[in-house]
Amino acid sequence: MRIKKHSCLPLLPFLLFTGYFLLWPILGVTLKSLHNNNGQWSLSNYAPLISGAYRHAFITSIRLSVITSVISSILGAYFTLVIVKNASSRVTSIIESISAVFANSGGVPLAFMYIAAFGAEGLLTKVLKFCGWNIYAGRFTLFSFTGVVLVYTFFMTPLMIIVFRPAILGLRKEWSEASLNLGASTLTYWRRVAIPILTPSFIGSFFLLFAGAFSAYATARALTVGTVPLVPIIIGTLVDGNVISDQANLGDALAVGMILVAGVAMIGYIWAQKSAAKWRQS
Amino acid sequence: MRKRFLTGVIAATVAVTSLVAVSSSQAASIDYSKCTDLKSCGGMDALVKAAQKEGKLNVITLPRDWANYGEAMDLFSKAFGIKITDDNPDGSSAYEIQTVKTAPKSKIPDAVDVGITYGADNVNLFAPYKVATWKDIPAQWKEASGRWAGDYYGQIALAYDTSVTKAPKSFADLKDPAFKGQVAIGGDPTGAQEALMSVFAANQASAGAATNIQAGIDYFKGLKASGNFVSVLANGQNLAAGAYKVSFSWDFNGPGAIASAAKIGKTIKYVIPSDAVIKGTPYIMAIPFNAPHPAAARLWSEFLYSQNKGKVTATLGSVKGMSGSKIFASIRGGQNIWISGAAHPITEEAMRTNGLAINPPAGFETPAGATVVQPTPDQQTAAKELLKAQWPNL
Repeated sequence: MRIKKHSCLPLLPFLLFTGYFLLWPILGVTLKSLHNNNGQWSLSNYAPLISGAYRHAFITSIRLSVITSVISSILGAYFTLVIVKNASSRVTSIIESISAVFANSGGVPLAFMYIAAFGAEGLLTKVLKFCGWNIYAGRFTLFSFTGVVLVYTFFMTPLMIIVFRPAILGLRKEWSEASLNLGASTLTYWRRVAIPILTPSFIGSFFLLFAGAFSAYATARALTVGTVPLVPIIIGTLVDGNVISDQANLGDALAVGMILVAGVAMIGYIWAQKSAAKWRQS
Repeated sequence: MRKRFLTGVIAATVAVTSLVAVSSSQAASIDYSKCTDLKSCGGMDALVKAAQKEGKLNVITLPRDWANYGEAMDLFSKAFGIKITDDNPDGSSAYEIQTVKTAPKSKIPDAVDVGITYGADNVNLFAPYKVATWKDIPAQWKEASGRWAGDYYGQIALAYDTSVTKAPKSFADLKDPAFKGQVAIGGDPTGAQEALMSVFAANQASAGAATNIQAGIDYFKGLKASGNFVSVLANGQNLAAGAYKVSFSWDFNGPGAIASAAKIGKTIKYVIPSDAVIKGTPYIMAIPFNAPHPAAARLWSEFLYSQNKGKVTATLGSVKGMSGSKIFASIRGGQNIWISGAAHPITEEAMRTNGLAINPPAGFETPAGATVVQPTPDQQTAAKELLKAQWPNL
């Protein structure tokens, strides 16, 4: 017993950290969201969430996150396969480092990078124009839903490579050899062995990407000045704006809504992780 | 129980404080956190002396190139030898109020500069103080007991990079295909005052009345449909990257923006559009009750509302041996500092009548004969409701 008690001690900083920076704010936000502007208990902050502009914002946020996560997880999984199969260990480690850098880029610097590259006067825009392709000839603009999808994919695909690579590496050579020995074609091996084994990891990674995209804020804000309604941006204007002074509690209610959506994604992630772990045990 | 305990503590504190007050000398008995005008603060000499004794002033969210605040802070510091700490220069009004409510005593701002709704909604946070020029502040822009008052306002100008094919003079000009992909706004109008007023200006230019901002929203819808409007955030960085060339801006941000653009080899110009002159709601100034440097806070307030033409930081010589009131009389007051920064001080009308106002910098003049519209708080509330529904789907 004594030993067990002591073994909790090293965890204490972590527990304090998550308690102070995660649980405490969640509690605070939830309590404030349940009070009206006069400080009385009330559900009035939640009423606007289920209709009109705020409901629309939730739908747009979820739509953006699903689209970017689908694109990024498929692209990322494909790249990972190609890398694991073909790249030498040296190339792999270079790609890993680059992925880590890109996956952690975000916020205003990322938006600015894209503006400098693909804006109306961006460097790449000019190069492409010189090569005969004016990307602004049609309806494309970086400063739109499509633009945000493009930019998000840029940091989410490398993230997928990082989180999905262990799963691909976990595919044992013996499995493919065994199935080949039993007369299966490569296609059958993938269809009946590899893909079923990879599916939980893939879904888990997808949920992780979804949560990341759902909560991203600064990048989209810099690119759309509010013309694409995303929940984090609306919370930003409500709690830290210069125009609306009396609706911070509504922002808290929106935040609770986001926590619920993110919670669902995290439950999916945990379930997928558990299923994936089955194959790693033996 | 807890309440009763607190009451006891407060009562005891009050008793001790009053004992201390009685025992100290007459001059020091002025409680600078309670005095409500220059007279009850013991006059300018005493106020300056007390402020200098405090030695510090906390301000908050004042960007140096916003409405010439850099010059105001430098001049105040140089003239009175008071060190100014400016917390989070780029922060928002909401941040200011949050800081007043939650910061430890030494970090609480001595004065805030916030959007007007933040004053009206938080009136109990502020101490009443009426500056010497109080009567020149229009009645609708001050709280009757002196808890807050408007200090300056801006007008919406077109800010453009001179590399545009033709210089825009009006909102109508920006519909020209020559501006394809070049027009941007400085924020989300549901969250940024400057952006909100830009939509009001577009509304006026499109013959809309301030009571209904629909024509202004439609103006931006049209610009977006024609591809002229890009939803990139208008700021110095994105201007430098060539992401846009024309934006809407408070005129008082012009001198700073022009100077910083010049540093990176860009020439930008400001012009008040010929088809819309929108006067913003004044920002307001207020002194929090629990300001840690109450005398400096009141001196800063007197300074910002002073209409003196006087000397600026660059021309002010040594003030050694001068009395507080003499120093105060020799330096330029905040109201004229704002004019020299292309802002519009709250007492400008009275200043013009009395010949106390200096001229605005060249290029920032309001077109002669223009109809100036100032959206009321109610009109702004109505506009925000429409924008909340329509701007996200522009």
